[in-house]
Amino acid sequence: MGRLEGKVAFVTASGGAIAGATARLFGAEGAAVCCVDIVEENVNQTAADINAAGCKAFALTCDVTNDDAVKAAVDKTVTEYGKLDVCFNAAAYSEKRHRLADMPVDMWKSVIDVNLTGMFIVARHVIPQMQAAGGGSIINVSSIYGVVGAKERPAYCAAKGGVRMLSKSIAVDYAVDNIRANSIMPGPIETPRLLARNPSIEAIIERHGPRLHQKRLGKPEEIAQTALFLASDDASFTSGADMVVDAAYTAF
Amino acid sequence: MGRLEEKVAFVTAAGGAIAGATARLFAAEGAAVACVDIVEENVKKTASDIEAAGGKAIAIVCDVNDEEAVKAAIDQTVSAFGKLNVVFNAAAFTDPLLPLHELDVDLWRKTFDVNITGMFIVTKYAIPHMLNAGSGSFINISSIYGARAAKKRPAYCSSKGAVRMLSKSVAVDYAEHNIRANSILPGPIETPRLLVANKNMDDVINRHRPHLPAARLGQPEEIAKTAVFLASDESSFMSGNDCFVDGAYNAI
Ligand SMILES: NC(=O)c1ccc[n+]([C@@H]2O[C@H](COP(=O)([O-])OP(=O)(O)OC[C@H]3O[C@@H](n4cnc5c(N)ncnc54)[C@H](O)[C@@H]3O)[C@@H](O)[C@H]2O)c1
Ligand SMILES: NC(=O)c1ccc[n+]([C@@H]2O[C@H](COP(=O)([O-])OP(=O)(O)OC[C@H]3O[C@@H](n4cnc5c(N)ncnc54)[C@H](O)[C@@H]3O)[C@@H](O)[C@H]2O)c1
Repeated sequence: MGRLEGKVAFVTASGGAIAGATARLFGAEGAAVCCVDIVEENVNQTAADINAAGCKAFALTCDVTNDDAVKAAVDKTVTEYGKLDVCFNAAAYSEKRHRLADMPVDMWKSVIDVNLTGMFIVARHVIPQMQAAGGGSIINVSSIYGVVGAKERPAYCAAKGGVRMLSKSIAVDYAVDNIRANSIMPGPIETPRLLARNPSIEAIIERHGPRLHQKRLGKPEEIAQTALFLASDDASFTSGADMVVDAAYTAF
Repeated sequence: MGRLEEKVAFVTAAGGAIAGATARLFAAEGAAVACVDIVEENVKKTASDIEAAGGKAIAIVCDVNDEEAVKAAIDQTVSAFGKLNVVFNAAAFTDPLLPLHELDVDLWRKTFDVNITGMFIVTKYAIPHMLNAGSGSFINISSIYGARAAKKRPAYCSSKGAVRMLSKSVAVDYAEHNIRANSILPGPIETPRLLVANKNMDDVINRHRPHLPAARLGQPEEIAKTAVFLASDESSFMSGNDCFVDGAYNAI
């Protein structure tokens, strides 16, 4: 018996590394998964992988900052699977490093739009479905940089701090509807996203110095396991929490 | 296949509500469990319940603040089950409700002896066995009162704040040895302990308004399920975290 048997999940950014691993694990644990991303090829691949493993999924190409497109995607999910219980939000914009004064306003706006406003828009459309289903679990991917500062990433830090409080706000307002909302703060995770910003894995480990106590990066699957816990009824009293998954990075 | 198959767990306060539920769930997930408490009758009951359900357990009567007794209890666990992988630390003194200037120094010390020094002693003697085993997971029970102050509980709140930092310190120092340490911060959980300061459970919920937005208390099993996640390899990149399991108490 899978730990998400009978549940329907909406997973944004699932063409990407972390949300892709999460969508696969959700599928393997018995959920029917709607895989959403702005990049068609990648999200089709994730859904095809889940189907190939004998599990339920379909892919939708959608920009999370587009209110109408998100509404249509949520409606499509409910049409396909009858309801919606779990929402995993992970879309993020890949911005260049700048100190604040050097950051173009448009770049700031893009980061806030995708990383934060996108989560608001998705939540806005999944909540009524969760109310109809009698409850639900929203899992928003923040970052350790929503808790501590990162160099030259003012918009990312601000957006990820915003995600953290957005989750708490949903948790407080919708507890009466049995809807839970939590954030996950991953430490550095071995993903193409991270490799795109750095020459090599070794260079990343070196750059993070003594805070990466185990001299290793996390794996997307380790975030997916945390998401699985939060999505499942095992976390029935967990809401408004910050799940920091960073091997003690921010404890130091 | 249980989620804690092949693991050996040492559970303090296992004669009590939360740790008792945790010991039972650990065993149901396949762990061999040393049930430890200062009250013989209660801890024997927990161990015999586990055995009656077909699980593996031993009961050990031990005061966590007694260094020799703790050392012997841990040795006994390793003799019985061959190793030690997981420690769940939950012993707490039932402190009186008093504002600081009316609290006797003896009662302050007693609270610290059980709630935090006891945890230090258990941890001190468990670590060498985890080093031998090549990994381990500490789960230390703090409280929302380790993050928010409760009225007239200066010693309890201070000791529960200390639990959070003890966990982080262990997380940082032993990460390179693959030993993880996390705190759980439960909100009000429906246990006999709550009736020390409240007439009944409705009284508890009312007294905590607006902090319990779902207007319900947690159940010991909801803490136990979080502990299973933290004890298992599913949380392999999670260490030094404060796991709030509080129905969004701390979010408001
Ligand atoms: N990789 C890390 O070390 C790390 C650490 C902390 C937090 N995070 C967070 O985890 C999440 C996932 O990151 P990842 O490492 O898997 O990155 P990734 O680049 O592999 O995935 C991000 C995905 O988001 C999609 N996306 C971007 N804009 C979108 C939009 N407007 N609408 C829909 N989809 C959109 C991209 O197409 C991509 O597939 C992000 O929120 C990121 O900030 C990652
Ligand atoms: N019940 C709640 O609402 C709540 C909320 C937050 C945190 N907590 C924490 O959870 C933990 C368990 O609480 P509970 O509600 O299950 O309480 P409980 O009173 O049922 O259990 C506490 C147990 O600790 C044992 N104990 C006390 N002193 C000891 C000592 N010196 N050595 C060994 N064992 C000792 C007691 O015999 C008892 O069995 C405590 O740390 C408590 O502070 C409880």
